[in-house]
Amino acid sequence: MTWIVRNLWLIPAIPALAAGLSALASRRRRAFAASLAIGSMGISFLLSLCAFAQALRSSGQGEATRQVFNFPWLQYGNEWLKLGWMLDPLTAVMLVMVTFVGLLIFIYSTGYMAHDQNFTRFFCFLSLFAAAMLGVVIANSLLLLFMCWELVGLTSYLLIGFWYQRPSAAAAAKKAFITTRIGDLAFLIGIVWLYSQAGTLLFYDHGAGCMEQTALAAMVAHITSVGMAASTGIALLIFAGAVGKSGQVPLHVWLPDAMEGPTPVSALIHAATMVAAGVFLVARVYPLMAAHGGMHAAIAPTTALQAVTWIGSITAVFAALIAVAQNDIKRILAYSTVSQLGYMMMGLGVGGVAVGMFHLITHAFFKSLLFLGAGSVIHGCHEEQDIRRMGGLRKFMPVTFATYAVGMLALSGFPLFFSGFWSKDAILHAAQDWSISRTPFYLGAFGALLTAFYMTRQVFYVFFGEARLEGNAGHGAAAGHSEHGAARVPHESPAAMTMPLVLLASCAVLLGLIGTPAWPWFNSFLNGQPAALDFAGFLERGTLPVMLSSTIIVFLGLGLGWWFYGRRPIASADAPDALEQLQPGVFRVLQNKFYVDELYGATVIRWNGWLASLSDWMDRWIFNGAVQAVSYLVIGLSWMARSVDVFVVNPGFDGGCKTVTVGGKILARLQNGRTQAYLRMVGLAFAVLIVFLIWSGRR
Amino acid sequence: MTALGFPQLLHLVLPEVIVVVAALCVLAADLVFMRAAETRIRGAVGAVISVAGCAVAIGWMLHAPQYANVLDGMLVLTPLSQLVQIALLVLTILTILISLGSSFTEHMGEYLALILLATASMMFLVGTQNLLMIFLSLELLSLSLYILAAFNKRSAVSAEAGLKYFLFGGMSAAFLLFGFSLLYGWSNSTNLAGIAQSIHGKLLNPALNPVLDPLLVVAILMTVVGLGFKVAAVPFHFWAPDVYQGAPAPSAGFIASGSKVAAFFILYQVMVLGLAGAEGSGAWHAYAPGWVPVLALAAALSMVLGNLVAIRQTSVRRLLAYSAIAHAGYMLLGILSHTQQSLAALLYYAITYALTVLGAFGVVALVEQEAGGDKLSDFAGLSHRAPVLSFCMLIFMLSLAGIPPLAGFFGKFYLFSAVLAATPGSLGLLWLVVLAIAMSAVSLYYYLQVLKRIYVADAPEGAGPISVPFLRQAVLGLIALSVVLLGCAPDLLLRWLQQAIQTAGY
Repeated sequence: MTWIVRNLWLIPAIPALAAGLSALASRRRRAFAASLAIGSMGISFLLSLCAFAQALRSSGQGEATRQVFNFPWLQYGNEWLKLGWMLDPLTAVMLVMVTFVGLLIFIYSTGYMAHDQNFTRFFCFLSLFAAAMLGVVIANSLLLLFMCWELVGLTSYLLIGFWYQRPSAAAAAKKAFITTRIGDLAFLIGIVWLYSQAGTLLFYDHGAGCMEQTALAAMVAHITSVGMAASTGIALLIFAGAVGKSGQVPLHVWLPDAMEGPTPVSALIHAATMVAAGVFLVARVYPLMAAHGGMHAAIAPTTALQAVTWIGSITAVFAALIAVAQNDIKRILAYSTVSQLGYMMMGLGVGGVAVGMFHLITHAFFKSLLFLGAGSVIHGCHEEQDIRRMGGLRKFMPVTFATYAVGMLALSGFPLFFSGFWSKDAILHAAQDWSISRTPFYLGAFGALLTAFYMTRQVFYVFFGEARLEGNAGHGAAAGHSEHGAARVPHESPAAMTMPLVLLASCAVLLGLIGTPAWPWFNSFLNGQPAALDFAGFLERGTLPVMLSSTIIVFLGLGLGWWFYGRRPIASADAPDALEQLQPGVFRVLQNKFYVDELYGATVIRWNGWLASLSDWMDRWIFNGAVQAVSYLVIGLSWMARSVDVFVVNPGFDGGCKTVTVGGKILARLQNGRTQAYLRMVGLAFAVLIVFLIWSGRR
Repeated sequence: MTALGFPQLLHLVLPEVIVVVAALCVLAADLVFMRAAETRIRGAVGAVISVAGCAVAIGWMLHAPQYANVLDGMLVLTPLSQLVQIALLVLTILTILISLGSSFTEHMGEYLALILLATASMMFLVGTQNLLMIFLSLELLSLSLYILAAFNKRSAVSAEAGLKYFLFGGMSAAFLLFGFSLLYGWSNSTNLAGIAQSIHGKLLNPALNPVLDPLLVVAILMTVVGLGFKVAAVPFHFWAPDVYQGAPAPSAGFIASGSKVAAFFILYQVMVLGLAGAEGSGAWHAYAPGWVPVLALAAALSMVLGNLVAIRQTSVRRLLAYSAIAHAGYMLLGILSHTQQSLAALLYYAITYALTVLGAFGVVALVEQEAGGDKLSDFAGLSHRAPVLSFCMLIFMLSLAGIPPLAGFFGKFYLFSAVLAATPGSLGLLWLVVLAIAMSAVSLYYYLQVLKRIYVADAPEGAGPISVPFLRQAVLGLIALSVVLLGCAPDLLLRWLQQAIQTAGY
């Protein structure tokens, strides 16, 4: 085992240490906190590169591809609870992605948050988040993963509510925490069940782990009372955790609201890393998801994988539809994230780990690019987030525009030159070959069309046309702000913000090269096989038709977007949306997100309210009564004990001793008589015990 | 008994010798060379010598551990006794560091020398299994502690504390000596193993059930009285609140920490090694006379009285005293279940408890210096005046209350599970564990009272931030850190203890 495998824990530990140190720093030590966070992330990034190199070196060597390090954590009864970490291609890829994107976003944040008075706290939380996320990635134990998973959830809560003075941010933080908690509950039940079945929570333990053949076979063979294999039940429960974290339907409602947090947070946590943790989790427990009893493993996917596919494909279209009708620049991206996460899930379901993970990695780069670009736009437009009030920014913010365009094309899946094309293509290709149904393929294709459409709409609104920023050139609708007129000219962001944009943009283009059908290096790396450059890959069955059809779909989407929004420049911020004019009813439904929030409000939340008031009543009148009774009893007892102490013991003792100190000269004479009161107690106790022991012995 | 030359004997007791020499050096340096120097410097030089002495003793024991059982049990060195000795030395070092810069006396040299002498006597106490040595070292320990309690000559309360402690201690010593002499008369041996053998010999003869022999019963009870005083178990606890309140804070911390650990260890040795065969049973529905039911009764009374009375206290020191009585009750459970596992749990509990309570007294000492008292109201708003200090106190109080993941929680957890495991197949001692858990729930109330004052209440008008000397703050922080660390990774200490107990063959 090499040095890096044994010391893999350093990668999350260093940001954790940085978080701890900056938590102790005073609020004024801004430079200290920022450099600590960035420095620690840089070190983690270098270590991740080492780990990646190690994974590359041992790639394709069968079992040696995966190196684990387990250690006993605590003992209960005769069993040891073990934790551990592992290095395999999946971990290595995620490590490099998280640390690299994280590093860039940390740097970006120094510019974005420069004017915030809680700068130090922000970097403390960011470092803590990075530590927890890296912990999720390296964990070789479902328990360790779950602990880090919850930590990630906590930091997400803290960062969404970072501007907790705003009620909407506080509410969004709560919503995110509680909604993901529903998934986490199922996840926890799944963990407990898995432990009861497999007797271990280590993924890989030289044949004894819960993701290895022995345990899997036992779980597949164990049929529960409802006629479902234990493995399926556990896999579905764990998947529920992933649904919550990755914002899949029906638990997607928290993710768009989470945009209340600072934009770097949205980019890092709610686009690139944390929300992808659900996808990563499914990839990590993929052996369990795919565990199959019979011989037909290759023919029919398991129930768990079918669930993953359907939820993923439905989410992909559902969220994309909502994104079409949103006006907040970050909300559009948020729904787009939900939709893309749906694609990843679908990719996992239909095509296996490599397909889903490839989209996860490419998406992490171009979506964080888009978010950071959006942050730059918001920053440049003086905290304006409504795309109807932007426009014409191409002239004011050239760097942001160029990089944003790259991100947008990558997300839309513009053919050949952008990474999004290749990763989405791989998913669609796999979906086409799925043995159960063609519907996911059609859903995915429709989603791709919508993606190209809403991104085009957004870019035309934001960067083209005339500047419609409030108070700028008299186009502003709200007259109340017009006195700021002169100050509200958009401006390009500082270098600390544009530099990460440029780096991310180049990654968004280049990353596609490692996953083309001609050179499926990424796929092979994750599967532990060598990769070869072979242009014949394009000619394989179904490859070219899928590429062609998705190209057509993308151009269709881009064209429709141009037809509606680019043909005529959008003149006024108050002009109704082009789609709204066409189909006002549909548009309203989409704009209101299919009324899912309202539905939850009318059902789950109201039921919960009833239950809460019922519990409150029970608490007030039944339990509180009992507790009060007990507390009065205890107070009475303690009062009694105190009385004994005060009136029986102390008078003798204190009386004697007070006379001793006060009496001075007559001390000797009085001392003889009085200090014995408590000693008498001891003597009495002694005598009683003697009598008791001897009497009880004689009996 | 083999002949043993002085060089060999000195070699075996070298750590104790080092500590005594350090004590003499401190005295000599203070009295001979630094009579004209400032109090602060005298204290610092003395502390440096004392800490160095303790550190050298620890280093020697770690580097060249000696194991022996010589002179009819007078000197019994096992890995376990050395581990406890090391723990005692560490506690002594921490006590010395906490008392640095205190203003209760100008005679720091004598103060430190007394602490070192007390430490040396505790080390002898731990390293013997002979009644004579036990009594002698207990007396040396007690006498040093009496003086330490009364060391603040300007304070009448301190003198009162010392006097009360002395009176009570004197009588307990009389009980103990009487008990020991009866034991000797009964068994014709002063060696604990010899006494156990004698009891065992009489057990074989059914007509002579030793547990029914009034002489032995009286001897056992007198021993319990004498040692029960040292561990402050009800009904031998009356001295504790007054001494804890009156003594200078570092002295009180020392009495509550180091001497507690030593006393519990020796109580375990006398009871479990010396009185093996006369245990009896304190299990529910399975009562049999012996020392176990006596300790069970004392434990139950201590837990109930200590916790309930602590609720009504307004002085933090008295609160800590009653909490110490309650904790003595918990720890007695570890003795009366007398298994290897319970010994490990007991020592883990005693050591972590000693650390925590020492830290708490360190905080109390600093607050007293600034606020002038140890009333709960003097702690109001401390979190704004001294955040680090308050955070340390938070950790100590929560650990005492047994909140995970602090050391106090794991101490209780291991102790209670060891007690339950001591009577396999039956739940005879369950009643004690249930009582202990119920009482630790009660105890949370008064620990939180302290924290409520610190974190919720407002500071009095015009109270500025407290300037805490860096060294003392660092020491308190270190103690707090170790409480957290021992709670998160109990194995650090527990595994060591278990190994030592295995090799020592308890």
